[in-house]
Amino acid sequence: MRKLPVYILLDCSGSMYGEPIEAVKNGLQVLTGALKQDPYALETAFLSVITFDSDAKQVVPLTEIANFQPPQLNASGCTALGEALSLVAKCADKEVVKTSEEKKGDWKPLVFIMTDGEPTDDLNKGLADFKQRKWGTVVACAAGTRANTDVLKKITENVVSLDTTDTATIQKFFKWVSASVSANSMRVEEGGGELTSLGELPPPPPEVNIVI
Amino acid sequence: MNRHQRFLTRHNGATARLNEAARSLERLISRLGIPASQKEQFMSWALESLWNNFTEQRMNQRIIIENEIRNLGLRFPNGTVRKTYFAEFSLPAEKISDVRLEGISELGLEFKETEPGKYTLSGVPAIHGDFNLTLSFNTVEGEPRSVFSFPVAFNPDPRSIWKDMRSELNRKGIKPDWTTEYVKVPADENGNPRKDIVAASIQGRSHAHEARGRDDHFAVEYCPDSEWYILAVADGAGSASRSWRGSEIACNTVVEHCRELLSGNEDFNKAIAAYHADKENIPLRNEVVRYVYDIVLKGAHKAHKAIIQEAADTPDAKPRDYATTLMFVICRRFSFGWFIASFWVGDGAMAVYDENSGDIKLLGKPDEGEFSGQTRFLTMPEIFSDKDIVSKRMRMTIMPEFTSLFLMSDGVSDPMFETDRNLNDFTKWEEFNSLLKNGFPEDEIPGVDLSDDNEEAQDQLLNWLKFWSPGNHDDRTLVVLH
Repeated sequence: MRKLPVYILLDCSGSMYGEPIEAVKNGLQVLTGALKQDPYALETAFLSVITFDSDAKQVVPLTEIANFQPPQLNASGCTALGEALSLVAKCADKEVVKTSEEKKGDWKPLVFIMTDGEPTDDLNKGLADFKQRKWGTVVACAAGTRANTDVLKKITENVVSLDTTDTATIQKFFKWVSASVSANSMRVEEGGGELTSLGELPPPPPEVNIVI
Repeated sequence: MNRHQRFLTRHNGATARLNEAARSLERLISRLGIPASQKEQFMSWALESLWNNFTEQRMNQRIIIENEIRNLGLRFPNGTVRKTYFAEFSLPAEKISDVRLEGISELGLEFKETEPGKYTLSGVPAIHGDFNLTLSFNTVEGEPRSVFSFPVAFNPDPRSIWKDMRSELNRKGIKPDWTTEYVKVPADENGNPRKDIVAASIQGRSHAHEARGRDDHFAVEYCPDSEWYILAVADGAGSASRSWRGSEIACNTVVEHCRELLSGNEDFNKAIAAYHADKENIPLRNEVVRYVYDIVLKGAHKAHKAIIQEAADTPDAKPRDYATTLMFVICRRFSFGWFIASFWVGDGAMAVYDENSGDIKLLGKPDEGEFSGQTRFLTMPEIFSDKDIVSKRMRMTIMPEFTSLFLMSDGVSDPMFETDRNLNDFTKWEEFNSLLKNGFPEDEIPGVDLSDDNEEAQDQLLNWLKFWSPGNHDDRTLVVLH
């Protein structure tokens, strides 16, 4: 069967310490809890979590929703967003099945990036690796006031921002991610292909601002 | 010595030893120069620090063991309701005792120590959700029990969360969410059985989940006067609001058009016979192509125009709201074999399957983009302005005999064949045919009995179309001429 890969890139730098990182952990619980109730997502969507602090790590490989277990997250170090972009490209090369004559490949992966600061590493290399692959919807979320939306705009045109990094706001973001994954799962099962622009995703809640 | 005397002797011995110890303690205390007034205070302090030391060490031992177990990174895999669950783990048995796992019986699970240090958690989860299991054990005697909490998640049975709802179109009697048809064709004048048609169409689980109704459609007919069979299947695009109607118009229009043009058309039959007798003869072939062009291609175009017309007559409707694929075939048995002509735009599959010769003949080529869902629709104007339309979309063939002719929407062909290449692979069709015949025993879905005149085959086929295939829940339509 063709999976719908979903890569979630989470900033776990020191500035996320405390409430923000707890909120993100909780957000992942909310996300998987909701997707488990959705028959489209439960069958189609596969989740992977990549964290980035001083370096980037894939803490959960691409896993079907039914088997997904929220990872332990700790906040410390810098913001290696560039490395995270290179890593997600590498993971997708390995985990996403390409279409061949015998087999239909997976759907184009969805990517959700959440960061609360500026990248501290070389973004350009990561950006180049990332842009070489084919992605479905890529959403970058600037959490809090210190995140740089101009940098995120280089990654994708779909940039949203959160005014604060409190539990309620971060939870709203993850709920919206979940609704977007659901909408995409449904769409691909309908044979409609992947959603590609923010306009096609479910409308975000008021806490999630679209950055134009 | 009686019992009492023996007791006294032992008692006296013990008292003597105790006195001896007390005396040596006294000697030590005086040697250290501890004043008698502070003796008691010192003794209590000394014992207390020893005791504290002792308990601290005991606690440290417990914490060391607990940390060791924490570092094992024990995790329980997720399970699924009503599916056998099994998890296995090891603990250092020499360091702990009385291992218990609580909070499991209400989940329908059982915890067992299979051999020292090896544990299993198994059973069939009864309810879905996120739960916490409590693992507890003793470490060092005198220390409290160690308690760990482990999350475990049981997913709902994915099949149970699909809702099955009737659509408004169905409720209003405009278009049923599923339908079947069996066309029983009587034996010919010589008593030879003639092929029957069985067809079924059902809204996909994804449609039923939201009461969206069925966008697929089929129309089948046997014309007793001309002895032609006409079979059509159309798949309305899920994203187009009136595609349920587009597919209906498409099927009905072509069947009607073909029926009219085939009725009493002896010239066409003669042209086919003449062409068969001399297959190298280009003018004879062109003659047949001309007929097929009028009947088949013009039928398709008529269907296209009928949809455009209805869109024009309907307020706020655009032709693309009616987006639908269309495949149809006309065929007739002649003394020399079967003449088959077809038209196909869109995805799905249409093929003639012959078990005896091991032959599969696709009646065209499905339109598939790089990604699924980028198919072509009858409603697109470029379909009919394409100068290669005949070579791309029309087929005609003569076959001595065949087992079955299949037309199916992609709701069936995607899970069954997956790719275009597989559609050309006879063994894949054999597998498909065997699934059709034998059903899906693990899901308690029986096969379809395609014997001659078996009218029950239509209900069997409808039930068969409910097969489970993860990620494939589109509308399903299958028409079989057998």
